[in-house]
Amino acid sequence: MSTKKQKDCHFCANQIEVDYKDGRTLKKFVNFYMKILPGSRTGVCAWHQRKLSSAIKRARVMALMSPTHK
Amino acid sequence: MSKTKSDSLSHYELLFIVPNKYTEDEAKQVIAKTGTIIKENGGNITFEEYWGKKRLAYAIKQNHYGYYSLFEFDLEGKNLAKLDKIFRLSGEILRHQIVTKVFKSPEELKIEKERKERVEKKKAETEKEKKTDKTAVTTSPVKQNLPSNSSASNAKKVDLKDLDEKLEGILNAKDLV
Repeated sequence: MSTKKQKDCHFCANQIEVDYKDGRTLKKFVNFYMKILPGSRTGVCAWHQRKLSSAIKRARVMALMSPTHK
Repeated sequence: MSKTKSDSLSHYELLFIVPNKYTEDEAKQVIAKTGTIIKENGGNITFEEYWGKKRLAYAIKQNHYGYYSLFEFDLEGKNLAKLDKIFRLSGEILRHQIVTKVFKSPEELKIEKERKERVEKKKAETEKEKKTDKTAVTTSPVKQNLPSNSSASNAKKVDLKDLDEKLEGILNAKDLV
């Protein structure tokens, strides 16, 4: 599900805010084992990466995203 | 949830899950009840959304499905802990999460909308350009094929004309006979 070598930050380029309720977009920034991917791999800027990691954790709490791949 | 307990009003967002043991009507009653609880604790609800029945990403207390609902409200910071406790102890709510949210005035929302539209327009344009490039590439071989096709069709047409003439000639001949 990872995006390979994107030059621009997904959130900066499309002017989207990171939202923990939007599980579909959050899934792009997680690997097969549902682990949060580093910004260096997804191209997300540092500012958004911080928002993203907390958003993914919130989504996991609310069962919008699985914490594991099973 | 914010750890600071200020007296000033701030904007919060509550997302919670009502377990699947309730029917949809009962779940809606529970949701209405939570709304009243927020109001009783001095909250001012600004936004309400019902997501409906959704599959949970993992089972919570043997529940595979749940009714999601969202509330946005303004509340004094000191009342938040109390509200949180009420939801935590109530058996009707499977799980809840209160998150601080930056309040956006309708003007700000408008500006955001315009921005989004602009970005979408740009996207659509770039996609169109890509598509036109692709079509240009695909059309060129078709064009090469076209003359042969047209010549073939012309030949067929000529054939047809000849046939017509022959037929007419035959018919005329029959008339003569």
